[in-house]
Amino acid sequence: MSDAGASSRTGRLQTRLHVPRWVWGVVLALVVLLWRWTEVSDLAVTPAGRTIALQALTTGLLIGGVYGLVAMGLSLIFGVLEIINFAHGAFLTLAMYLTWVLADGVGIDPYLTLLITPLLMFLVGAAVQKVVINPAMGQPLENQLLLTFALSILIENALLLAFSANPRSVRLDYANASIGPVEFPLRIGGAIIELPRIVAFVGGLAVAWALFSFLNRSRVGTAIRAAGLNRTGASLVGVNVDRIQVLTFGLGTAVAAAAGVLVLPFLTLEPTTGTQFNILSFVIVVLGGLGNIGGALVGGILIGLTQEIGGLLFPGQSKLLPVFIIFIATLFLKPEGLFGGGAE
Amino acid sequence: MRRTRYLAVGLALTIALAGCGGDEADPEEATEDGAATETSTEAPTEEATETAAASPTEAGTASGEGCAELVIGSVHPLTGGLALDGTQMDAATQMAADDLSTDGLSITIASADSQGEPEIGQTEAQRLIQEGANALVGTYQSAVTTNLATVAQREQVPLVIDVAVDDAITSEDNDYVFRIQPNATAMGTFGAQYLQALGENAGEPIETVVYMHDETSFGTSVLAAFEAEAGNVGIEILETIAYNPFEVQDVTTEMQRVAAAAPDALVVTGYYNDGVLVAETAASVQPDVNAIVGVAQGAYDLPQFPQDTPDASNGIFDSNYHFDATKERVQDIRSRFEEENGDAMRTAAVLAYQAVEVIATAARSAASCDGADIAAAIQEVEVPEPLLTFPGPITFDDSGENENAQPVLMQVQEGEVLQVYPEEFAEAEPQFPAVPWQ
Repeated sequence: MSDAGASSRTGRLQTRLHVPRWVWGVVLALVVLLWRWTEVSDLAVTPAGRTIALQALTTGLLIGGVYGLVAMGLSLIFGVLEIINFAHGAFLTLAMYLTWVLADGVGIDPYLTLLITPLLMFLVGAAVQKVVINPAMGQPLENQLLLTFALSILIENALLLAFSANPRSVRLDYANASIGPVEFPLRIGGAIIELPRIVAFVGGLAVAWALFSFLNRSRVGTAIRAAGLNRTGASLVGVNVDRIQVLTFGLGTAVAAAAGVLVLPFLTLEPTTGTQFNILSFVIVVLGGLGNIGGALVGGILIGLTQEIGGLLFPGQSKLLPVFIIFIATLFLKPEGLFGGGAE
Repeated sequence: MRRTRYLAVGLALTIALAGCGGDEADPEEATEDGAATETSTEAPTEEATETAAASPTEAGTASGEGCAELVIGSVHPLTGGLALDGTQMDAATQMAADDLSTDGLSITIASADSQGEPEIGQTEAQRLIQEGANALVGTYQSAVTTNLATVAQREQVPLVIDVAVDDAITSEDNDYVFRIQPNATAMGTFGAQYLQALGENAGEPIETVVYMHDETSFGTSVLAAFEAEAGNVGIEILETIAYNPFEVQDVTTEMQRVAAAAPDALVVTGYYNDGVLVAETAASVQPDVNAIVGVAQGAYDLPQFPQDTPDASNGIFDSNYHFDATKERVQDIRSRFEEENGDAMRTAAVLAYQAVEVIATAARSAASCDGADIAAAIQEVEVPEPLLTFPGPITFDDSGENENAQPVLMQVQEGEVLQVYPEEFAEAEPQFPAVPWQ
């Protein structure tokens, strides 16, 4: 019922991680640029300059991992449902509030809510797809766009009504603890790495790995991939595509929720907090290739690095400036995304 | 399925209507509140004598006879990212209207939501005036206020700005716009002066600073004024670091630059979330500075800041506008506000209250509800005992700026935000040098 108009189209979901060699070239170029900065900037010839460069690298890598995780959820939803989900950031905020309630109200360790929040958000996402988005499947793209956009406004304002715009925060008691000889925040060559940011990065990679394994190894994952490649074909071999779509939307939302839990210990929470991830996620998803999940992860890390190193090279400019330069360049030169082009 | 969608829309409408209903219920509750009328008697009596002085011919008639029903349009961001302050400010105008209404003059507030958007704020202001607003109060944002200033001039309805910092909003050509709070120039100028005084009084002069600021017009205009004054008071700015306040998630690299420059003080201008991030990152990186000083920083003067960041806030200064914590009337207003609204009343809300008081005072002295008459009266008005830490009464110069607008230096001490300088407003001695990690 939902995909009458789109049945002959080939899907876009890609669930394996191919990193073309030239991507490493880009990373290398970034590092060289950074080192170049330490030579041209008058501040940077000092050891302090090297520290700043090292800090930019670690910060970019760590925050990029989180960006990648958020974008993976978005890319997954696009790969299977062909919906650009503007409410992704709002779901992330909703997950953060859930975690805040659990951590601040109930007293559960914020990281333990990784077992609860994504699960609840999976149900929320699945319900939203079934009730709100499914009727719009197969309709023109702008209908779905407006629908998810409306959804994001609805969620944001519902949160405003329920929690007010008062900024909330969850902080770890053990953020500055020492584990054996390792003291937090970590100091490596002068660079400072706070515990919650390490956990966010490692946790992000773990969730990404879990998602990959699920999609590539499990039966349901195979069905999702099938639905993402060819809906008609999938339904012909007995896959219930409607149900898979509900499941996928829930899964994408759960991934965003996991990201929300992981960033909460170092961000301040407001009803609009998640939307700042929205724009970046779209950039990353386009960069990595729409529907390419591995591309989203690598793209996220690349964007994180670009943002930090660009911030050093163009001081006084928005950190997003170099990000958008890359975005526009990608759209011109390789509109299918860095990792796009051809099915697997 | 179509039915479900209608259901969803219906649900959304219900929620929205429920929200409106809540707003309307407020004034009734407040008028029943005995405390509200009690304090209101104090202010009007003073104003009554003023009216007599201003217009002797009308001295015999009851004050406010010429204006029995004053409608004040309140335009603030009630939804969106700035809704916390916006809703507080709107509630404060309502409270002021209830407090300051008398038998002779009833004050009604007509509220509108700017949604934080200049165009929407402008349209809403226009609508309020068409529906009979005699004066406007608003709007918390410079961009929105700029648009409202144009509307005010065109429609000849006075606009009293509660919060908006941009210098360019007021001008000698616009006789309908007045501002109570210190503008960006005053913020930056006083900020530099306070910083210099802080170092000198402690015998440890502050000669170099690194300035971190948000890249919007707010941060850049305060920085420009600070830069202009810094030279006069012997402060050198080693480096300025800008960031996007709405998207920033990490300032560790920036803080490493501060550490590398090793200034005497780190100066910060920005909003709440970024301010918290800067403070927490400073505590991790621990640059070799003697103080972290906010200039018009939106977090460091709020009681919530030390609660949110107990390990990264002690000793941090902020030079900002602030309600006068030493005045009894302010304490009374704030405690009643907290009782009614649940949240502690912020300075922005106190300014909104003050704005309504300025208009009410002027309307009484003009004995007219006409916008042009009220504007002319505001130009001449003198509101004694301001609710903020101003050194004198609120009076307006030719361009509509409050002649006594002045920020105050505050410091987080043992988890509390206290006024520390100038001395006449000080609740405690400033502690300097002081950083949260020592």
